[in-house]
Amino acid sequence: MPHTMTLLDRMRIERLVWALDQRLYDLPRQSRIAKRREVRENLRAATIDVGTTTALRNLGNSRQLAAEYRVAEFGDEARPSWITAALFFLTGSLFFTAFLGEAASAFGDGIKAVNPNATGTFTWTGIRYLQDTVTYTFADGKGSSVGGAWTPLAWLLWVVATVLVGRLWRVASVWRRRRTRHSA
Amino acid sequence: MTSARDPQLLKGVLSLLLLQLLAEQESYGYQVVQRLHEIGLGDILEGTVYPALSRLEREGRVSARLVSSNAGPARKYYRLTDAGYDALATGTASWASLADVVSSVLNRPIPAEPIQGS
Repeated sequence: MPHTMTLLDRMRIERLVWALDQRLYDLPRQSRIAKRREVRENLRAATIDVGTTTALRNLGNSRQLAAEYRVAEFGDEARPSWITAALFFLTGSLFFTAFLGEAASAFGDGIKAVNPNATGTFTWTGIRYLQDTVTYTFADGKGSSVGGAWTPLAWLLWVVATVLVGRLWRVASVWRRRRTRHSA
Repeated sequence: MTSARDPQLLKGVLSLLLLQLLAEQESYGYQVVQRLHEIGLGDILEGTVYPALSRLEREGRVSARLVSSNAGPARKYYRLTDAGYDALATGTASWASLADVVSSVLNRPIPAEPIQGS
């Protein structure tokens, strides 16, 4: 007997499709959209046939399905994850910049705590190796600061961490394989 | 009848089965799954079939077209390409040859005691 699809069924299907879509960001956009549509449509057909619970169970979890789709798209070869690398680089640098900013402003707050009417120039060398020197200029307790940026070493470490997190060293072998395939 | 089978064994021949089913009849993803279940392969799940279809499409062995459906959005129907028919012929011959060898070994009578190594 065919099952009737309720709003809750649709929501459960959309949840699975959304979770799958989140894991397919490494795929080309058109391919990702096509897979999303196809899975949704097949799930709807299966829901009418066997009900949502069975349809979702038979499809398996979104992580495994996405892994199978990635292998289907790119093959079994180890690949870099550009999306992971980009997310790490952007969100991580946001947090690290905020952390350095907090460290610099803590130095300024310290000066004001010691002398609420501070006047003069105060220098902090920053977090060793990672942050440039921070200079506060105070006039009667009101101050402004310059410096405190990332050092070249901090940038270098960040790039290295991004390469590791996104497994970007695999790019070389992907290019090599692609060149071999084209020349064959 | 559905019995427990080694998933790895099924996975190895899944592409061949899909090519054969699609050579018989153009089908969409869930329809292929239903047809697999009808022939007794009820333990093959959708999550295995859809990526396998996607891989066949990427390899150029099947092509897909969208066909509007009464039940909702358009469905993606798959059919074999010329390369798909070639792969099916090659795969079928290869499978038959392998099955012959494996069957001839597995059908030998098993002695009560294994022959001792000398």
